[in-house]
Amino acid sequence: MSDEAIIGKIKEVLAARAEGITNPAPKRIFLPVSPGQLVETVDLLKKRLGLAHLATISGVDRGENFEFLYHLVNSDATVTVRILTPRSAPKIPSICSIIPGAILYERELQDMFGVVVENIPDPRPLLLPDNWPQGQFPLRKDWKWERPAEIIPGGGK
Amino acid sequence: MEVFKIPIGPQHPALHEPISLRMTLEGEIIKDADLRLGYNHRGVEKLAESKTYIQNLYLTERICGICSFSHSTCYTQGVEKLMELQVPKRGLYVRTLVCELERVHSHLLWLGVAGQEAGFESFFMYTWRDREVVMDILEIISGNRVHYAMNTMGGVRRDIDEQQKKKILDSLDLLRKRTEYYLNIGASEPTFVARITGVGKLPRQQAIDLCAVGPTLRASGVAMDVRKDDPYAVYDEVPFDVCTADSCDVLGRVVVRVKELLQSYKIIEFLLKNLPEGPVKVKAPRKVKEGEVFSRYEAPRGENVHYIKSNGTDKPERLKVRAPTLANYPATIAMLKNGFIADIPLIFAAIDPCICCAERLVQLDDSRNGSSRLVRFSELRRLAIDRHKKTGKIKKDSAWPF
Repeated sequence: MSDEAIIGKIKEVLAARAEGITNPAPKRIFLPVSPGQLVETVDLLKKRLGLAHLATISGVDRGENFEFLYHLVNSDATVTVRILTPRSAPKIPSICSIIPGAILYERELQDMFGVVVENIPDPRPLLLPDNWPQGQFPLRKDWKWERPAEIIPGGGK
Repeated sequence: MEVFKIPIGPQHPALHEPISLRMTLEGEIIKDADLRLGYNHRGVEKLAESKTYIQNLYLTERICGICSFSHSTCYTQGVEKLMELQVPKRGLYVRTLVCELERVHSHLLWLGVAGQEAGFESFFMYTWRDREVVMDILEIISGNRVHYAMNTMGGVRRDIDEQQKKKILDSLDLLRKRTEYYLNIGASEPTFVARITGVGKLPRQQAIDLCAVGPTLRASGVAMDVRKDDPYAVYDEVPFDVCTADSCDVLGRVVVRVKELLQSYKIIEFLLKNLPEGPVKVKAPRKVKEGEVFSRYEAPRGENVHYIKSNGTDKPERLKVRAPTLANYPATIAMLKNGFIADIPLIFAAIDPCICCAERLVQLDDSRNGSSRLVRFSELRRLAIDRHKKTGKIKKDSAWPF
């Protein structure tokens, strides 16, 4: 299926919600939606266009907002669904009910960006250590790494 | 029966890299499995934001020690798109050649590991011996066995000549013969087949739902291969087939990989015989204008994905890496459930896990004097230059100091 045919199909399925759709490169389609429409959009794309494979979720710190990109793949193209959520209260819905394989990516986002993923089946930390201080999110742009003072087990200086 | 929990890892003799698997057992049956990652997390994505595009090329190459070329190619072709570079045909052919050679060495390595985990030690020794043939080829082309440093923005850094071409084609005959022998073993050695049949079941629909990738997915009967679906480099010109199996178990994963080896030999032969003339690279700019790119690559272990966002400077705004192993973890949990505890290493090895890849990072320890300290790259460079100056020019007939 060509890119034009896929865009046509997405416009038909999503109607007015597919307004900002762009096609900057061959086989790459970007579709911005609001966080409230995310679950429904992913569900429709999976059922009607066979976009069942979630390659990953990329998070980007855009200053005022966080941007999350859901890269959905089928054998014809990659459709990236883009959502923005405010930095002051970052909140996105979980898509695990539609694509169960999204769980590790969503847990990684919680660890790295401090975003709250609503209805996530398993909210435990995934990557950061158990003794990681609260409120520290490494992939935010304002987070800077400082080497902690070295503690030698058993005392000494 | 009493249910009890056992931790496997982060450090465990059956695992070659640190990961924590927590098993809930009822007798010998695994009732539930849980994962905890992060024991090898190096913060590559954060580090990449503070390095230039050309520095990141070497950083991404060091995400993994087995599929190093897959990360550097995925990154390079993404940045090339952002820079709007037209890479010369010959450069793309050489790049694809190294891609396929890397797949061959990775699959042969994995076959050995599968043989070893299944208790078939001679299979392990055979495949690893043959793998040396590919390692030698890679060394002839790039000068290195692991980090080839072949890629650069705008093409590849080294060309290949007629003599190298001949040597590779000669070695291919041997490799093809050996691989056909392995395919025979896989199909006819009853003890090996009995050990891996029906182990680690992953039904087709479940593999799709859990977003599995690569040979794990293809062994469940889904013909997804980035080289066919979304051709990069010169894969749209090269004839090859996507290999699948329907048995959905470890046997299927062995068969898929052996068949892929045969396809790779075909691709390598085609590339060498149709190698176009011309330059291998073009000059790349230092700064990249604002934009974003989503780059996909079929690594030996499956779909490798890089998302790169540029902001007009010489450093990326964001580099997101998703290695194939991370995508295969949810499927691994499903495979382990209701299996036997003795099958854990076999099932886990069957996805060809690369924990390094999945966790992305970089730290250097200097432990020569017993204390470990972090060495800055600039310091490391200074040490190397000092040492070089002190030793002077190396004589041709100098002997080992030991």
